[in-house]
Amino acid sequence: MSRKISLPDFISSFNEAQKEIVESVDVFEDTRASIKAKKDKIIEAAEVIRDDYGFVIPIGGGAIDYPEENRMEMNYYLNNPDSDFIIIYRIPVDREKPVLPSMTQVWEAMSFHERETHEMFGIDFEGHPNLVPLLLPPDWKGGYPLRKDFKGEGVE
Amino acid sequence: MAEPEITPELMRISWGPQHPMSGQTRILLDTDGEKVHRIIADLGFTHRGIEKVLENRSLIGGIVPIDRMAMVDTANISIGYVTAAEKALGLEVPERANWIRSLVCEMSRINSHLYAFGLQAEATGYFPAVFLWTTIDREILLDLFEELTGARWSFNFFLPGGVYKDFPEGFADRVVEGVNYLRNRFKDYWNAMIENPMFEMRCDNVAILEPKDALRLGATGPVLRGSGIPVDMRNEEPYAAYADLDWEIITEDACDVMARTKVRFHEIGQSLNMMEQIAKEIPEGEIKTRFSPFARAPEGEHISRVENGRGEMSTHLWTNGTPNPYRVKILPPSLRNMYVFERLAELSHITVADIPVVINSIDPWYLDADR
Amino acid sequence: MSIINAAFGNANQVHQNLAGILAYILEFMTVNARPILQVLVLPGLAFTLVFAIFAVWFERKFLARAMLRVGPYYCGGRSGVLQVFADFIKLFLKEIIIPSDVNWLLFSLSPVMVSAVPALALVLIPFDANWVMWDIGGLGLPMFLAIMGIAPLMPVFAGWVSNNKYSFIGSWRVAYMYISGEIPLVISAAAVAIMAGSFNLVDIVEAQKNMWFAIPQFIGFIVFFLGVLIESERTPFDIPVAEVELVFGWRTEFSGILFGFTMMAEYVMLQAWALLFITLYLGGYNGPIIMGSIIGSHIFWLLTKFLILVVFIVLLRCVFPRPRMDQMLKIGWNYLTPIALLNLFLVLAMKVWGVI
Repeated sequence: MSRKISLPDFISSFNEAQKEIVESVDVFEDTRASIKAKKDKIIEAAEVIRDDYGFVIPIGGGAIDYPEENRMEMNYYLNNPDSDFIIIYRIPVDREKPVLPSMTQVWEAMSFHERETHEMFGIDFEGHPNLVPLLLPPDWKGGYPLRKDFKGEGVE
Repeated sequence: MAEPEITPELMRISWGPQHPMSGQTRILLDTDGEKVHRIIADLGFTHRGIEKVLENRSLIGGIVPIDRMAMVDTANISIGYVTAAEKALGLEVPERANWIRSLVCEMSRINSHLYAFGLQAEATGYFPAVFLWTTIDREILLDLFEELTGARWSFNFFLPGGVYKDFPEGFADRVVEGVNYLRNRFKDYWNAMIENPMFEMRCDNVAILEPKDALRLGATGPVLRGSGIPVDMRNEEPYAAYADLDWEIITEDACDVMARTKVRFHEIGQSLNMMEQIAKEIPEGEIKTRFSPFARAPEGEHISRVENGRGEMSTHLWTNGTPNPYRVKILPPSLRNMYVFERLAELSHITVADIPVVINSIDPWYLDADR
Repeated sequence: MSIINAAFGNANQVHQNLAGILAYILEFMTVNARPILQVLVLPGLAFTLVFAIFAVWFERKFLARAMLRVGPYYCGGRSGVLQVFADFIKLFLKEIIIPSDVNWLLFSLSPVMVSAVPALALVLIPFDANWVMWDIGGLGLPMFLAIMGIAPLMPVFAGWVSNNKYSFIGSWRVAYMYISGEIPLVISAAAVAIMAGSFNLVDIVEAQKNMWFAIPQFIGFIVFFLGVLIESERTPFDIPVAEVELVFGWRTEFSGILFGFTMMAEYVMLQAWALLFITLYLGGYNGPIIMGSIIGSHIFWLLTKFLILVVFIVLLRCVFPRPRMDQMLKIGWNYLTPIALLNLFLVLAMKVWGVI
């Protein structure tokens, strides 16, 4: 199998070319590139990742909650059939007002993952075509199960 | 799930969860006569909150609940979690343990594909003969599992840093025996199914998923390879002993139900070859790296990507120095493929009669989609 | 001894007298009690029930072998023969659940009608020249086809009255399928009638004394056989009740003994069409006379052929998947109907040029 893109090449080229939209690019575990975009350039950065670097396969998305730091973080996992690494595209979320632009406009298949994150973390994705609960029952009122302060109250 | 609107000239059929072929999910079909205009997947009937459960257990204790994600394919599920956990603990795996892991994973993959294969036969309307044949042939693998791991289904066999047990005496010979038996059986399957003209009639040119759509919709596993795109985690990020084994990525270019079925079929054959190779060439050595059961993983995050029978499973593990993982995000293959299934009605002409065939060619395992 | 001799004559005489009585009873029965026998035994109740029971048992036991399992095992020894009776009793004692928004009268009537109408056609089948329950001479074949033409309306009706979406789709599949299957079937039957020179089923059977019509009309034979499979909803053409697609098609809502009736309808349908198939193509009741009894051997041969045919049809079930509805219609209209017409013209040509 031919490998067209390797991680160091990608990091250097990406850092240089996308200075305006990208805040930081980190590497961990040798084969994972973690990208943080500037706050108002989230969609633009996503489109650049998809169109210019060929990360067309959406692996999925999920959030993580940091109640002590009063923030959450939305991660999108992206793959390119020609690369030997994956991208974790991180978007910080304000825990008080968890609203994000929906990534379904860039990667359509993030739909299910965003619906799941919506019900599990209470993050609202603006522009999602069908933001209804995916796994939880429609009458669920017990809070957001995967947040760290969830105590398992159940349905009221 | 709140049911979306329906146009008045269509009829909405609720397919499952109480339906002979639906499995543990519900699908809403907006139909006009036999033609399906829209598919809406309603998941979550088997949601058990495994991600939350894992947060409340120790890193090692998580091996048990994660097996419950897909009972038919437990080895491939648990190796994803175990690989992430051993990265977090910083453990090295001895070579022999890696080969044993590959053997169990390949057996699990055959098990999973055989199940899918039998269901595919039943979905096309065979009286369940082929399904029962595959069930009986899976017995061979279950017996081998039992002999090696001590359990037939959910065997918690992989530990961070190795495997639980070494081969019993004479086990390698029995693996070769089982491989030879299964190879003979596959001739029967090929004749009874793939070469049966009625089966071809049902599967050829049904639910065509073009390569660009497969990429765009996030298809994975045999669905993606059935559309001709060679993506396989065993090759992308070789885990266990896959870098040392002789195998190649199997793809089919027809993009239809038949292509996906054939991908599974050839993958079974290839897994059998790998099983034989492992049984004959397995290196000697240690099978596990010892570590303290109270080991605490330092703060960090780790991602493992493994190839399940159904596709890529990624496990994202955050640790923070406590015995429990801080968060585990599992990206299961079936959730991705269910989205492909939802969109298939727009991409190709699907009738009500095609629905069981198509959904079994996608082969979602709802328990791992729901977690 | 002398007393017995005095009363009945010697042993030889006793035997003669007894044989005379038996022969008398037999003759009396076949001549005078024939209507009763016909209603209760041969084309009537016992035959239908015994066949349904046998067919269900055979299907369960022998298809189980094809699937590498044992099948019914505990009821009636290892053969599991009594399993069917046990199931029948179970079905009979079960509660009949009638959905709240259906007309209960029509709902409970329709499964009975589904099995009763094809059973009606059995009266026309000749088991012997003198053993036709309703001998209407030259109207035999048209009447049979007319009755069997009504039969498909009953599943459509049953599916419609169930008020269920799966039943509804199933019932319209029935309607489509019968139309596409029935036309080639009727055309093939017409070719047989032309060859025999009569619509009378007895005449058709008698015309096959030297050669079964399956040989000169091989095309029609195949078309009619596929038509029989389509009409009796046997695999691979069990599209209206496709379990994995439509739960149970038009039968979904029926429970208890109503479901039993719908299951029986499948076998009654198969019975009627298979008997007509044998009558038209496989020499009907013709066969070598055995044990000196003409009527007995005729009935024996017809039932033997029937059993072999049914076993063959049942075993088809483990080999073939089912086609889709559109493929089914394509088979009916694009292939079977033109081939049946071709067969009809061939037979006409042979008749005109006097080959047969």
